[in-house]
Amino acid sequence: MTNLINIKENNKVKIKSIVGGRGVQQKLAQLGIGVDSIVVVQRSAPFAGALMLECNGRSVVVGRGIAFKIMVEEIS
Amino acid sequence: MNIAMLGQPNCGKSTIFNAVAGYKSLSSNFPGTTVQSTRSKIKLRGKVHTLVDFPGSYSLSSFYETDLAIRNHLFSGNYDVIINVIDASQLAQGLLLTLELMDLNIPIVISLNMMDEAARKGIAIDTDELADSLGIPVVPTIASKNSGVRELFMRLDNVVKHQKHLARKRLLCQNDIEQTIDQLTELIQEKNFATAIVSPRFIAIKLLENDEQTVRMVSEQNEDGLLKKAQQLQQQCAKARGKPAETVIALERNALAMDIFHRVSKIGHKNKDWREKVDDVIMHRFWGYVFLALILTGFFYFIFGVGAFLEEPLLQQFTRLESYLGQLLGVKSAIFAIVKGALYGISGGIAIVLPYLIPFLLVMTILEDIGYLPRVAYLMDSFMHRIGLHGTAILPAILGYGCSVPAVMATRILPSKRDKIIAAVIATLVPCSARSIVIFGLVGRYLGAGAALFIYVLNIFIIALTGKVLSTMMPEVSPGMILEIPKYQLPTLQAVVKKIWFRVREFIIIAWPLLILGSIILGMAEFWGWDQILNTIFSPLSWLLGLPKDVSTTLIFGILRKELSLIMLMQAMGTSEVLSVMTPVQVMTFTIFITFYIPCMATIAVLIKELGNRWTMIIIGITLVLAITLALLTRLGAGFIL
Repeated sequence: MTNLINIKENNKVKIKSIVGGRGVQQKLAQLGIGVDSIVVVQRSAPFAGALMLECNGRSVVVGRGIAFKIMVEEIS
Repeated sequence: MNIAMLGQPNCGKSTIFNAVAGYKSLSSNFPGTTVQSTRSKIKLRGKVHTLVDFPGSYSLSSFYETDLAIRNHLFSGNYDVIINVIDASQLAQGLLLTLELMDLNIPIVISLNMMDEAARKGIAIDTDELADSLGIPVVPTIASKNSGVRELFMRLDNVVKHQKHLARKRLLCQNDIEQTIDQLTELIQEKNFATAIVSPRFIAIKLLENDEQTVRMVSEQNEDGLLKKAQQLQQQCAKARGKPAETVIALERNALAMDIFHRVSKIGHKNKDWREKVDDVIMHRFWGYVFLALILTGFFYFIFGVGAFLEEPLLQQFTRLESYLGQLLGVKSAIFAIVKGALYGISGGIAIVLPYLIPFLLVMTILEDIGYLPRVAYLMDSFMHRIGLHGTAILPAILGYGCSVPAVMATRILPSKRDKIIAAVIATLVPCSARSIVIFGLVGRYLGAGAALFIYVLNIFIIALTGKVLSTMMPEVSPGMILEIPKYQLPTLQAVVKKIWFRVREFIIIAWPLLILGSIILGMAEFWGWDQILNTIFSPLSWLLGLPKDVSTTLIFGILRKELSLIMLMQAMGTSEVLSVMTPVQVMTFTIFITFYIPCMATIAVLIKELGNRWTMIIIGITLVLAITLALLTRLGAGFIL
């Protein structure tokens, strides 16, 4: 299990937990991302930039700080 | 009747609104751009109704300012029916809001929009089955092609007439949670919290979710017993599922939505998407930035090219008209002074403002509608961190290039007050189209495109510096960026033209008459020598900046509307051949001062509303200090370059 920030592009992961305040969890939940969600890291921006995720057909970008707070498990 | 249109961001609500209401509202492809509800009268079967387009929201929680505002507005607005617009290609997510709305006592009609998108994804939805499962009428629509919209409104009429909503299904969570909700609902029914719209069940669920505003309302009514019971039930839920009650409820809702989704749709083969290939370039780690720089410079030269091309010949015509009228009426006469004033105001609009304004709006509207702006937030996130903000803060800045008013309003999408303040300062410092017109029409025209570009680049540096200073002074840590990236949409000609027309119309109806009036007043003031009084009062400023004395009055008018300062300048100098009365250095100094100083009246009004009096005064102070300092430096330093 590792932070989402460490996942390379084009890898699929399952979210195990979200270490975050209510705001973060709620906002992610509204976009359909929560514990047990399956997420693909589509791309990442350079210079410690944001990550673009795909979940259930929806594309969402999250800042690095947020990605650091999401614990995931890789799925082959 | 009063109709409320609700739905998640980017589901096409505003497109539907536009289709029936005409040009009065704006739709954009960036979440959070519609920050105010827009209303319009519509005619249905001969009767007139009010349609209100709400900003998009993912839920009815009170955690986010925008969601709470929407909820309160909905509850207090006496609505007879809700149109819930759902993006068919995101049905499961869209249903989350629907499920919340269903707990209210108000009829709903669902507009299942973007059916073409769903088809493209290979998703086929049985709308009858969906309507059956929810007990709510479902009308499939493709708003961008104006398909199904008429049927939607016809259905609406039916629903309210026949009170069909009473047949709506009550969707249940799993038994144990449902029982908990029921218990609390019964207790609430005994009190008198429920209103016409807000059902006891809705309140019960919100209490279990620990909804801030609901908890506050209940404790204000001194119902501590109720709160205690709610807490007890929360613990019960948590024990049963091993998660806090609000998470349990969210999960139940999610499961319900997913269940319905799977029951009513078939997922087939997905068509190959050219859009992913486009994103491979636009959001590329390297090429994405190259593309961004190219797009911005390209658009800059496009706007400048069209504007300069039209400005010269048009102004010449007006100069001819001016001398003709001068001969006709007598150059020294009072009548001529007034007519000349009016002429400057009119020519200013036609020859200076519109040639730059329209290309500018064209560019902004297309970028917005295509869906490029959130991708810019993605690209710029790490750079925004350098000035202490997140990628989302770039939206107010980008909108600021159009007009500071929607830019400041857009700061609502930022979660923390500190972020809002810094973003509002940035949004105000960004040169709006009015200031751009001064930059293009003055510096661009008389000193060349390079000089104009320089001002924009300088502006960006100053903004970055100011942002950095402000964020160092307010070191609060704000939550990171979480932003949905919408699919690319081909902007429809109709939507683009409507939007441009709406903004140009605003200029024609509000700003232009002001321009003409202000110009006439200044003409009269000059004729009778009153302006000298104002100029003398402000002469320390014009002395400091090395500007001609007559310039001071124009700066005052600039607070009203920024375009005024350019027109007024020509009026004050007595000619549109600016270089004959001002040196290049003075032109540069004047323009830089205009670019940075005090936001216009409209912006000040919006700043007061969003941030309060204190911060507005601070922002006015900052801009004034910056303007004077930079103008002074220009005066001293530009002599070397120009």
